[in-house]
Amino acid sequence: MVAFVPGLAFGGLLLVVALVWGGPGLGAALFLGGASWVAAVAAAGASTDSTAPLVAVLLLLCGELSAWSFDERLEIRAERQVYWRRGAAVTVLAFAGLVVAALVVGLSAVGPNHGLGWTVLGAAAAIGAAGTGIWVAHR
Amino acid sequence: MTGYTSWRLRAYAALAAAGLVAGLTLGRVEPVALAAPFLLALIAGLATQEPDVSVRLSLDRDRVIEGEEVVATVAVSSERGVDRCELFVPVPPELSATRGPTEAVHLRAGEERTVELKIHCDRWGAFSVGQALFRARDTLGLRSWEGVTGEPRPLRVFPREETLRNLVPPLETQLFAGNQVSRARGEGIEFADLREWRPGDRLRRVNWRATAQRRSLWVNEQNPELNTDVVLFLDTYAEVRAEGRSTNDRAVHAAATLARIYLQRKDRVGLVGFGGFVSWLVPGSGTRQLYAIVETLLTSHVVHSFVLRGVDVLPPRTLPPKALVLAITPLLDTRTAAALLDLRARGYDLIVVEVSPLELVAPAPGSSLELAHRLWRLSRGALRWRYEQVGVPVVTWREDEPLAVPLEEVNAFRHLARPA
Repeated sequence: MVAFVPGLAFGGLLLVVALVWGGPGLGAALFLGGASWVAAVAAAGASTDSTAPLVAVLLLLCGELSAWSFDERLEIRAERQVYWRRGAAVTVLAFAGLVVAALVVGLSAVGPNHGLGWTVLGAAAAIGAAGTGIWVAHR
Repeated sequence: MTGYTSWRLRAYAALAAAGLVAGLTLGRVEPVALAAPFLLALIAGLATQEPDVSVRLSLDRDRVIEGEEVVATVAVSSERGVDRCELFVPVPPELSATRGPTEAVHLRAGEERTVELKIHCDRWGAFSVGQALFRARDTLGLRSWEGVTGEPRPLRVFPREETLRNLVPPLETQLFAGNQVSRARGEGIEFADLREWRPGDRLRRVNWRATAQRRSLWVNEQNPELNTDVVLFLDTYAEVRAEGRSTNDRAVHAAATLARIYLQRKDRVGLVGFGGFVSWLVPGSGTRQLYAIVETLLTSHVVHSFVLRGVDVLPPRTLPPKALVLAITPLLDTRTAAALLDLRARGYDLIVVEVSPLELVAPAPGSSLELAHRLWRLSRGALRWRYEQVGVPVVTWREDEPLAVPLEEVNAFRHLARPA
């Protein structure tokens, strides 16, 4: 029962954000949801949680579907094809995200002799993502 | 074209960075797995290219009558294609788009799509329609580009006209042939009187029955059919506007109706727009004059001004002698009242059609405004009395009445009273 608490709290947070702040508040909600889940996993023990790819995709879908819902509030009449294309794009992104996240979890099982290479790659990816975020924010 | 990034792109970048940093810090793989889908979305968003969108707008007509519909066709195309192209065609508040002015379409590369918008012309006026706002978005809506494109197209909405059977005949006629039976004697069709023959009279004018009775030559006299000059004097100093109705709208409708029918009778019609912005048209006849008058009426908006001006500012040719001056006014501004009394003093045949604003400003029963409203109505009555004292008929045109009613009142007034 305790395991459902972070999920319920995240759902409530999303609802409040959607009703009160709209789109921009959703990023903070996603961050808090992800952080609380990571904290719960870290507190649970040292073993890798194999549901991480699923949680990641669900978090992404929360963001995408909420953003779609916010876009529909503008009441712009669009042709059916536009909706189908966006739905297909979200689905493809979710599947691709699931595959990549599963790959990451799978690669983490590689032996400790190769740990330094993965650490360097992870650090480079982190710096790249942070740099991209700063670049996008300043555009 | 201005580019925008969605808040999601920034949030996803932050989430991905936080996940990767947390993974390194905690030495766990779960935060990295959480960051992976967001990294993918980030790459997908940044990989989108700026689209090139061109929009053309055309109207099926550029001149319509008030109340009619115009179909605006928006052709939109893109060389590289756009996943979601939102179009917004702003229309002036006097017009309304029946299907909603915003549409979103998908454009393939090199494809041209057309969107039809029905624009309902609710009010007369000269408008400009055609500049379209567009927003091109990628499939996920992570990035968008906005711009304004298209050339403005003129759209003229002519005022609706009423049907009138009778007009107010001017007291004096001019020199050219027309449809108005003159009070003067001359060559015409209408029999006027008999008189004794004078040298120079044609034989065909001899009245043989009268000649036989009187044993000397008697001839018929006729009233010639001549044209008249009519000047429509539109008061644009002030108006009363409520719930989309205004006195100026009704005045413009009346002026357009009167201009058309007087011009059909081969009269010369001129226009004076007297208000914060003074405009005039020298009297003329024919279809070209009708279009000139209607075009001028389209710009007859009320412009508030504190300038004191009289009829002296008008060129002399605008107000020809013996012209009938038909003033259409809500009797709200004393400057117009003074100008009209000045015209009467100069000997013009003047008629005042008062566009009643009373229906638009009725105070709530029992409110303190009732007393002010009564005082205002009394002052309007006093102004009307001033006109009547100098022989000017003032007729009230109420909102629910056709224009024929006040004009018939003028004719009835003229049967009873003749101005000096």
